[in-house]
Amino acid sequence: MSAAGADAVGGRKVDGWRWAGRIFILLLSIFAVLPMVWMVLTSIKTQFAALQYPPEWWPKNPTLDQYTTLLNPTSDVGREFLGYLWNSIWVCTVTTILGVVVAVPAAYAFSRFRFPGRAWMFYAVLLRNMFPAVVFLMPLFILMRYLHLVNTGWSLVLTYLTFGLPLSIWLLKGFYDNIPPQLEQAARIDGATRFKAFILIVMPLSSPGIIATAIYSFIISWNEYVYAVTFLNDQDKLTLPVGLQRFFTEYTTNWPGLMAASFIMSVPVVVMFLILQKYFVRALTEGAVKH
Amino acid sequence: MPAALAAGAFQDYEDRYQVAIATSETAATGASPAPRGPNLLRRIASHWADYIYVAPALGVMLLVIGYPVYYTVYLSFFRTSPSLSMNDISFTGLDNYITVLGSSSFRDVTVNTIIWTVFSTAIAFLLGLGAALALNREFLGRGLIRGLLLIPYVISAVAASYVWRWIYHSDYGIIGALSMQLHLSDRPINFLDNTHTVLASLIVVNVWKEFSFAMIMLLAGLQTVPDQLHRAAMVDGAGPWDRFWHVTMPHLKGVTIVTILLMVVANLNGFTIPWIMTGGGPAGASDIWITQVYQIAFGRIRFGTASAYSVILFIIMMVLGYFYVRALGGKDDGRSE
Repeated sequence: MSAAGADAVGGRKVDGWRWAGRIFILLLSIFAVLPMVWMVLTSIKTQFAALQYPPEWWPKNPTLDQYTTLLNPTSDVGREFLGYLWNSIWVCTVTTILGVVVAVPAAYAFSRFRFPGRAWMFYAVLLRNMFPAVVFLMPLFILMRYLHLVNTGWSLVLTYLTFGLPLSIWLLKGFYDNIPPQLEQAARIDGATRFKAFILIVMPLSSPGIIATAIYSFIISWNEYVYAVTFLNDQDKLTLPVGLQRFFTEYTTNWPGLMAASFIMSVPVVVMFLILQKYFVRALTEGAVKH
Repeated sequence: MPAALAAGAFQDYEDRYQVAIATSETAATGASPAPRGPNLLRRIASHWADYIYVAPALGVMLLVIGYPVYYTVYLSFFRTSPSLSMNDISFTGLDNYITVLGSSSFRDVTVNTIIWTVFSTAIAFLLGLGAALALNREFLGRGLIRGLLLIPYVISAVAASYVWRWIYHSDYGIIGALSMQLHLSDRPINFLDNTHTVLASLIVVNVWKEFSFAMIMLLAGLQTVPDQLHRAAMVDGAGPWDRFWHVTMPHLKGVTIVTILLMVVANLNGFTIPWIMTGGGPAGASDIWITQVYQIAFGRIRFGTASAYSVILFIIMMVLGYFYVRALGGKDDGRSE
């Protein structure tokens, strides 16, 4: 829009800026993508080929061995890796669902009701973004021991819930602010119960917000490392980021294997992100920008 | 919840609902929505059902945030034994704070932290700003490029750290090999085991990981700049540079403040990349506050000292947090009390 206007008036000089922008974006894309390309290329090399000098820029004998080993439930490595994968999926799914269940009523109340302490509580929830994770590590570790949750996925679910909550509440409150209460009132007059009006009117209108917050908390939980490495000890409880670290110490020279494991770990979040990009971007930028 | 209580909550909720509609209508007409004054307790009582909606969220936050904050402050005044059972602790006053602030490494770690935070934030922000400006015009494949640039931000920091360790590898790393092939260097470069290059190498990884966060925030901000203003400025003869400074940037001010604050806090908390890639080494050259606290707590099991360290960090974060809430505060579009 503005580009078309700029061309009409600005002439040659604007073209220079436009080319500078294109070259900049090209270089930046190369910077962003090359490490990931190198990860994939390494993962399909044999261990011998990965440790060549000069490096094989393009694998001469590409092989999917590392992937088949990692995803083979009958091998030791595969069983270990699939265990981590399953733990990650479990923790992240439970966190995401509980996060929505807890955030929806809170956001609704912050939007609709005017109870004393509302503003204060709302900002207290938002401040979560500011807390350094490591500060909470020790007391939470002690708390989780006290609750007998150390070495269980629940310790992570409880902790990860609070990562997503502030953003979920903020984002959903924005949605509820924009839904006129008169809509629910109309449904009530037509005979819907209070709960039914909420489920049938408010929930569908806020579903973009719910999707956005859900993928945001899923991705954050999937990638979380600090709490997972502190709370979990048993090998059969570890989530992928910690499992990956354990792989590295066990098979320290098997770089293709590590790269393959990193790749498999990245696939779910990248696919989810690419499909739901619009929502994820909304989750990130909401609150900072007036729409 | 007992059925009677639930029914009561619903009944009360019906009343609240009417008030909510009334309030939102008065808010829309600009009248002051809620009475303030001595009858606060009565107001709390009359709104009791509202709290049920926020109780689960607040409960989780209190348990996982309120309690730890309290306990960290408490522990910071005690000497703890090097075991995980907190039975045997003794009050030492401010000793832990003196230990932290007086330790020989504190100054070096602080300098590292400032370098890490300032350079990571500044470079990532500038790259993000450039990318946002370049992506703010329509062109073929814009969505694709935006998606590609965001991938480093969404993948796991642990995976990213291992990928970069492999890229930086002292014998088989691709950068070292490339610079030898191009005769820029006569032997493989040791990025991570050299006290002079390690911090810069880590900052590159961090910038790679987070520049697209700045990009996406600023891109959203750019979309709020009205086209008419650009056209008006062009009619008045302003060049691209003038328009950037006098039209675009003033509109981006709010987003810029929030973005930089969030990035500063994220970088101060940036534990995973330094921890996985170097563990703070070699010789503490990449040790920052957060890795240092972790080492004191879980390496040396000195929870008291680590708590004092945490409280110091906590105060710094709270100051930043105050500005964060203030920057966001104006955005609650007048519906807050």
